[in-house]
Amino acid sequence: MNRKIVIDPVTRVEGHGKVTIQLDENNRVKDAKFHIVEFRGFERFIQGHPYWEAPVMVQRLCGICPVSHHLAAAKAIDQIVGVDPEDLSIPAQKIRKLLHFGQVFQSHALHFFYLASPDLLLGVDADPSIRNVVGVAMEYPEIAKKGILMRKFGQEIIKMTAGKRIHGIAATPGGVHKNITVKEREYFLDGKEIPSVHTMIEWSLEMLDFIKTYHNKHKSFLDTFAKYPSGHLGLVNKQNGFLELYDGNLRAIDAEGNITLNDIPSDDYNQYFYEEAERWTYLKFPYLKHLGKEKGWNRVGPLARINVCSGIETPFAEQERLEFMEMTGGKVNNMTMYTHWARLIEILYTAEMMKNLLQDDDLLSNDLVRKGERRKEGIGIIEAPRGTLIHHYEVDDKDRITRCNLIVSTTHNNEPMNRAVQWVANNVLDRKKEITESMLNQVEVAIRAYDPCLSCATHAMGQMPLHLQIFDADNNMVKELIRD
Amino acid sequence: MEITGKTLLVGIGNIGREDDGLGWLFLDKISELFPGYFDVEYRYQLQVEDAEMLSHYQQVVFVDAHAGLQNKAFVWQKCLPEAPETFTSHELEPGAVYYLTNTIYKKYPDAYVLGIAGKSFELKIGLTDFAKVNLQKALDFFQVKMQIVNTV
Repeated sequence: MNRKIVIDPVTRVEGHGKVTIQLDENNRVKDAKFHIVEFRGFERFIQGHPYWEAPVMVQRLCGICPVSHHLAAAKAIDQIVGVDPEDLSIPAQKIRKLLHFGQVFQSHALHFFYLASPDLLLGVDADPSIRNVVGVAMEYPEIAKKGILMRKFGQEIIKMTAGKRIHGIAATPGGVHKNITVKEREYFLDGKEIPSVHTMIEWSLEMLDFIKTYHNKHKSFLDTFAKYPSGHLGLVNKQNGFLELYDGNLRAIDAEGNITLNDIPSDDYNQYFYEEAERWTYLKFPYLKHLGKEKGWNRVGPLARINVCSGIETPFAEQERLEFMEMTGGKVNNMTMYTHWARLIEILYTAEMMKNLLQDDDLLSNDLVRKGERRKEGIGIIEAPRGTLIHHYEVDDKDRITRCNLIVSTTHNNEPMNRAVQWVANNVLDRKKEITESMLNQVEVAIRAYDPCLSCATHAMGQMPLHLQIFDADNNMVKELIRD
Repeated sequence: MEITGKTLLVGIGNIGREDDGLGWLFLDKISELFPGYFDVEYRYQLQVEDAEMLSHYQQVVFVDAHAGLQNKAFVWQKCLPEAPETFTSHELEPGAVYYLTNTIYKKYPDAYVLGIAGKSFELKIGLTDFAKVNLQKALDFFQVKMQIVNTV
């Protein structure tokens, strides 16, 4: 009798997804899919609204990464008012970057400490009732305390630049609303009320030491779990090809490191990308047109960014990148679990960047907004915590949005997440008579490495919980996992 | 309950979803009535790091909309520490956050939950008439409970 496994909802990811695994009569895996079952709506919902509302409205896509949507939309709307990224005033660029680094820092801290660390610290087969952040807090209170304060630091940066921690408003068409005061920035530098940015760098380095120690003890797990060849996509600095999170060119490489997208300007993305829909999921499958659907898909996010960049401009993070690259002899890293390591390098990078910006007097300037000649179209691309995020708007003569296209990080990672699920299905569940909770959790571990934000990916409004089901050959459900 | 030190009010909810805004609107009203008297924090949902925030206070009141109250405008109860068994790290109950404050920070503020009855939670700004009445009743009760009516 064939069997089919469904995980729904997948836990400790942002949003609601579903995994189905079909087994045959010999318990061999026939098929494994990661579905997104929420309906997308934001691209239509925003049509007809004045363009200046976009950066505010799109934040409602997500309570976890609203800043990323805010900034991507703001960059697109800058173009509508005739201001290209390089024409933004220097203080406005730096304030936006500070906001963005605060967001990436807190989001990565959230993911590592709250979502990934339970599997790493407690084990993928630990009792599920304690295999969560609370279990980590009980077992490793000092790590938990640091995680809490790192996340708080990033959120306080967001609060300073955007007015509040969630759904604040920093950007205005052509610039930013406010500058930073000396008193505001001292809060992050002097360490009197909260641990300083210098402490954030120190703790980020400690976390990297932790992952290296973990790697030494669990090398085979990290090296093999959900490993598969893939393309990698990310923004790189326009001048030197270094890691870039706010504004850069798009670069992609294949699984061997050959360039497949050669530093193209953001505005040209539409010439290179195509999104295909499948009937079994609301999440589309983007790929590079010139490579086709089979070869043109890419991972995005921390691992992809570290793979595609030529270097990192901050010294500690660059040192860590070099060590990271040594693990694969300088070649492309296609090992999914190294995404956690790459994420920690980016935590360090953003901490170093925040330190540099907080010490920069340009933040105090009142040169905040620029104007240009009105256009009908705007494209904003940034690197959100989870990967490349594309916002594209067209507006009419009455300033109303007539078309909106969003390609979010988790959409790019759709094919990679499906490959990861297939890997676990084939390597962990295949031929097993008994499907244990620990086995099912490993499906989630593979998905979780991508830190997917499913509400973002489907542009849904509302909550989205994940769900695993196993079906037999006759399509009878024989196992189900729901944690709610 | 009598004010004996720093008090934090935590409003939980979302003003974009009708009566789910009760917690936030309660804080708005209290801040209007007694400016500077309480520290207030607005949350869509409680998260782990809120445990650290609680550790700085002697008294904490969580204010949230309540959908399951029958024939009551609100409910006031002691917040008890409760080890959470939940899959998500993004939405914790007040008792779970309080448990973390106790366990990680070894702090034990006097904590309460004020649940105010609401009945509609759709995507819309503004309270229902039902919730408006309950909000006022909760405000009246709270002022007495906190013994601040004649002291401000």
